[in-house]
Amino acid sequence: MFVSEKNLFKRPGKKAGQRSVNKSLVLLFALLTSVFFVGGAHAEVPNATPPKGTHSGEDVPQPIDFPHDIHADINGINCMYCHTYARRSKVAGIPPTSKCMGCHSIIATDKPRIQKLTEYWENNEPPEWNKVHDVPDYVHFTHEKHLQRFVFNNEGMDVANVSEVCAFCHGEVKEMTVAEKVKPLNMGFCVRCHEQNGGPSDCWKCHK
Amino acid sequence: MSLKNILENWSDYRRTAEDGGHHDYEHMWAMAIDLNKCTGCNACSVACYAENNLPTVGKKRMMKGQGMHWLRVERYWDEPDMGGDEKEYQERGGSFLPMMCQQCNAAPCEPVCPVAATYHTPDGLNAQVYNRCIGSRYCSNNCPYRLRYFNFYSYYEESWPEPLNMQLNPDLSVRDKGVMEKCTFCVQRIRVGKDAARREGREVHDGDVITACAQTCPTEAIVFGDMMDKSSKVSKIWAAHEVELGKHEQHKSDPDLRGYRVLEGLNTDPCVTYLERVREA
Repeated sequence: MFVSEKNLFKRPGKKAGQRSVNKSLVLLFALLTSVFFVGGAHAEVPNATPPKGTHSGEDVPQPIDFPHDIHADINGINCMYCHTYARRSKVAGIPPTSKCMGCHSIIATDKPRIQKLTEYWENNEPPEWNKVHDVPDYVHFTHEKHLQRFVFNNEGMDVANVSEVCAFCHGEVKEMTVAEKVKPLNMGFCVRCHEQNGGPSDCWKCHK
Repeated sequence: MSLKNILENWSDYRRTAEDGGHHDYEHMWAMAIDLNKCTGCNACSVACYAENNLPTVGKKRMMKGQGMHWLRVERYWDEPDMGGDEKEYQERGGSFLPMMCQQCNAAPCEPVCPVAATYHTPDGLNAQVYNRCIGSRYCSNNCPYRLRYFNFYSYYEESWPEPLNMQLNPDLSVRDKGVMEKCTFCVQRIRVGKDAARREGREVHDGDVITACAQTCPTEAIVFGDMMDKSSKVSKIWAAHEVELGKHEQHKSDPDLRGYRVLEGLNTDPCVTYLERVREA
């Protein structure tokens, strides 16, 4: 089920796709419930202590303002549907335009962003996405191992909730339009998490 | 290895020969090099340059001894009268010895590092952490094999002009000025091998991991493997030549057995065994 996206393009960078009607009421209600159910909106990741730390990264401009919230939150698409390589490789991967067109040759074709995407597709050009989460070249980081630890080899973990694991390092991408860097991703951030979750503490495991 | 971990486990990372070296490992990567098979072709050295992003420093700096060859093939020249043998057709000519970091179990370089940039990993490797290195060069001066190389300049600026920078191996960093470096036994390949084994839910088999030099050697003189795996090729060679870890002197049942470790009398407990070249004498 896909939701129509009225007024979507007026507020890039903020949570898009929500009507502004009764927004304050909704906010009040959310505030009240969150007092009683701390973190109740999020599924818990078993056997894990999420790393702490925040960061306010600069906005990274993208060729198309890809709305993560519509895809991952409203329509509930699993992160690994598009970021396919995360489960088996170092990098999570940007989906090829063909994957976008798999849905968007039919869905929401009247929207300007999709028309821009279609233009790229018809010109045989890939959109040049800019990297948001980048670790230095001397760091060996593999998505695969982290997903195995927290998702696939984690007892009681539902793969459908993988976005909670992604949020450890990428923040609540579900609530973003284009991805922003909201976690520091520096060595202290990594090491604290490794200490809490039993990750290796050998220098050569991560430094190369 | 966080700072807290280093401070708490200081002595673990700085064990010397007197402490018995490091012997509680997950793996124990080791080599056996048959000098009978080595033709001195230098293919291993070239492979190492390609695999490990080694910069070329130029003739002048090379002559100053600033070459960055993690694996160098040392040449020795034998003259007939040197052997003191009266034989008419005595062997003469060059002989070769490929020298890479010996990954000593009681490494002299480790205890002298003021910032613990070099330490022993649970894989039995002598690790060098470039980020932590401050370039004091104590380790290099304490290495009896002279197998540590220092970046006196930012070699990367000239070594890989466009488009040659595209050949750089992304699996390890390009080192900058002021950092010590040395052979890592191709730790990036070990990482890949271990990850693949883990993905398939099995142990690392012999042959899963092969270093660039061993892969390239046309005569297969270099054999690489895990000493903890008793069925691996390398541990069989070590056993066949009666070379054992943790000793500073090997007692052999047969003097014809060729295995030896370079400068093992210094009690460095190196992980590379050389099989002596058999000569006509």
